[in-house]
Amino acid sequence: MITRNKVVVSGLTSGQPIVFIHGFGCDQSMWRQVVPSLAEDFRIVTYDLTGMGQSDLSAYDPGRYADLQAHADDLLLIIDELELEKAVLVGHSIGATIGLLAANREPGKVSRLVLVSPTPCFLDDESHGYHGGFSQGDLEELISFLDENHLGWSAQMAPTIAGQPAGAPAADELTKGFCRTDPAIAQHFGRVTFFADERSAFERAACPALILHCDDDALVPMQVAEWMRDRMPGATLKVLTATGHCPHMTVPSDVVAAIRDYLKDF
Amino acid sequence: MEDRVDLQSAFAELLEDAPCGIVVTDPDGRLKYVNETLSRWLNLPAAAEERPQRLPELMTGPGRLFYETHLAPMMRLQGFAREISCSLKVMNGAPFPVLLSGVARHDPEGSPVRFDYTIFDARERRLYEDQLRAARRESDELAAIVRTSPNGILRVQENGVILRWNAGAERLLGRTFEAVQGLCVQDEIRLEDDPDWFARAAATCKSKPEAVFETVDSKGQHFEITVVPIEEHETGAKRNYSIVLRDISARKKAELRLKVAMNEMKHRIKNTLTVVAGIAKQTLPAEFHASFTGRLQAMSKAHDILTSEGQKTADLMELLALTEEEAGGAERFRISGVTAMLPSEQATSLSMALHELTTNALKYGALSEPNGYVEVACESLDQRGGLLRIVWRERNGPPVVEPTRRGFGSKMIDTILKFDLGGEVEVDYRPDGLQCVISFGKGKER
Repeated sequence: MITRNKVVVSGLTSGQPIVFIHGFGCDQSMWRQVVPSLAEDFRIVTYDLTGMGQSDLSAYDPGRYADLQAHADDLLLIIDELELEKAVLVGHSIGATIGLLAANREPGKVSRLVLVSPTPCFLDDESHGYHGGFSQGDLEELISFLDENHLGWSAQMAPTIAGQPAGAPAADELTKGFCRTDPAIAQHFGRVTFFADERSAFERAACPALILHCDDDALVPMQVAEWMRDRMPGATLKVLTATGHCPHMTVPSDVVAAIRDYLKDF
Repeated sequence: MEDRVDLQSAFAELLEDAPCGIVVTDPDGRLKYVNETLSRWLNLPAAAEERPQRLPELMTGPGRLFYETHLAPMMRLQGFAREISCSLKVMNGAPFPVLLSGVARHDPEGSPVRFDYTIFDARERRLYEDQLRAARRESDELAAIVRTSPNGILRVQENGVILRWNAGAERLLGRTFEAVQGLCVQDEIRLEDDPDWFARAAATCKSKPEAVFETVDSKGQHFEITVVPIEEHETGAKRNYSIVLRDISARKKAELRLKVAMNEMKHRIKNTLTVVAGIAKQTLPAEFHASFTGRLQAMSKAHDILTSEGQKTADLMELLALTEEEAGGAERFRISGVTAMLPSEQATSLSMALHELTTNALKYGALSEPNGYVEVACESLDQRGGLLRIVWRERNGPPVVEPTRRGFGSKMIDTILKFDLGGEVEVDYRPDGLQCVISFGKGKER
C-alpha cells in the first residue's frame, strides 16, 4: 500500500497522526500549503488515491472502485500498515466522504474527522427536499465533458508553454506532474464522485467531525453544509470566508488555524 | 516618442481585438479583464454590474465543476493549464466550444497574484473531434468484432500478399500474423488440388461481387472461403481483398455421419425386401411369386435412386433407364422428350406403374415379339415444367385384344397413378399396339 499509493510520512514522529485525503481531479500535492505548518506538532501522512497522481495506475480496477468504500478500505490498510492510532482524517470534497466511510467502518481507528468542502451528494433530490446543487443532466454533461478532454489531454505533449517563467522544470516533468489523471480513470472516478449519494453514511457518522465550508463555494450550496451540521451526530460547522471549493489552497492559513483550534483540546 | 505611442495603441488593439479571447482573473477566479473578442463571442452585456463576476460563471455546468475541482487547483499548483476543452455560455445562444489555456503570475514571494487565460474558438475543431471520436468508436467496435470472430479474417493485396491476419486465423491455421505477414496467401493456406485458389477467386470477383467455395486444406481441415474485393473509401478502387475462412469441419463430419447412416438404412431395407421375397417364394404358388418379386424389385430400385445421395428427388430419366433395363435395352425401349425431378412419393409410384406396364408388355404386348418395342415420350405441358405427360406406345407387337377382365396389374396402375401420383391415366387398347397416357402435376418436395 505504501508504495502503491505513494504514501509520504513527515512531521513530528511522536505527534498526533493526521492523514490527508485529496479529492477528485488532483493529488496529494494539493495539501502542500497546509502540511508544513502542521508538521511542527503533528505526524503527517499524505497519499494519492489509487488511480490518481503517482499511485500505481494499474491497481485501479474499475469494478472494485465503482464503490467509494474501496478507497476507504485502502485508507484503512494504510492506517494499519503505519500502525497509526486514533488518527485524525482530513479529507477534501470526495476525499472527505472517503474519510467518513473509513471512520464508519472502523470507528476505533479514527478519533476525529476534518471535512474540507464536503458534500454527501451533489445531486438534487426533490422528493426529499435535498438540494445538492446539480441536476442529473448537469452531471451527465460533466461525464461527456471529461470524455471530450481525452483528446486534449493525451495529445498535449508539446513542451512550449507561453509565459513559462525562466528556470521552470522541464516541460515533460510537468506533464506528468500535478493533477494529471489518466483520462479513462478520471472519467470513471468522476462518475463515481459526482453520482455518489452517501447521505445515510453522513447521518450515521461514527466520529465527531469539523465541517469547513467556504461561504462562496461554487459547487456546494450553503444548504448542504447546514444539512450536514443538522444531521450528522457530533458535527461542528465552520464557515470560511473564501471563494471556490478549495479553501486549503486559497486560504490555507485559515484552514490550518481551524484544524489547530479543533484539535487543541486533544 | 510618437513611435512609442503608436506601439501602445497597437498593443491595446491587439489585446482587445485579438483573434482569441483574453481573460485575466485574480487567484480566486474573479474576472479582472475580458477582452472585446470574447465579450463579442459570448454576447456579454455592456454594463459592468450585469457582467459575470467569476471565470467559472462564463462556463457551462460541467465546465464549472471542472474549474473548481481541477482547473483552479492546477493553476495554483502547476502554474499553468493547457488546451482544456470546454464550452462557454452565450447570452441567448448555443454554448461556444473553446480551448482554454492559462498561466499563473506570481509575486516575488511566489504567491499567485494573477491568472492570464487565452481562449481559442474551437467550433471547427470540436466538429472535427466529434467526427474523429465517432469514427474511432466505430472502428474500435469493428476491430473488436474482427478480433473476437471465430472465423479467420484476412486482408490481402491483389497479388495475394497478406496484410492482415486476425486472431481467428491464428487459431484456425496455427500460425501467428508475424509468421505470415508479407507472404502469399495461397502458399500459406495450401488447398488440396487447388494451389492457385486465390488467383482463381480474384478472377471470379472481376465478374461477380464475391467468390465463395468450400474446400479442404492440405491438413484435412474443411473450410468455406469467401473472397471479396475491398472498395477503397475515397477512390472506389479495389486493390485489396478480404478473405473469410469459416471452419466447416464439424458440418462436413455431420454430413459424413448422415451419409453412413443413410447407406446403413438402405442396406437394411434391401435386406428386408430380400427376406420378404424369400418368404413370398416359400409361401406363394410358383405362378405368383415371380410377379410379386418383380414388383418388389421395381420398388427397391426406385428407392436406390432416392437414397443414393440422400436425395429427396429423383430424375425422371433415371427412373426410365431402370425400366429400359427391364425391357431389354435401348433398342426395345425408346425414350424421348424432357426430363424432370420428381419428389420421392411420385418417383416410387411412377416406377412401380412403369414396372407393371413393362411386365405386361413382356408377357402379352409388343415386347413379347422379337421386333416389338415401346416408345416413351415425356412432354412438359407448361412453361415451368409443372405439368407432365408421359405417352407409352407399343409397336410391332401382336394384335391387341381388349381384355375382358381387369387383372391385378391394371388395377394397380390405376390406383397408384390416380392416388399416389395424383394424375390421370388413359389406357387405349389400339389394335396396332397399346397406348397409355399418364398426365400429372409435379408434386412438391417434402
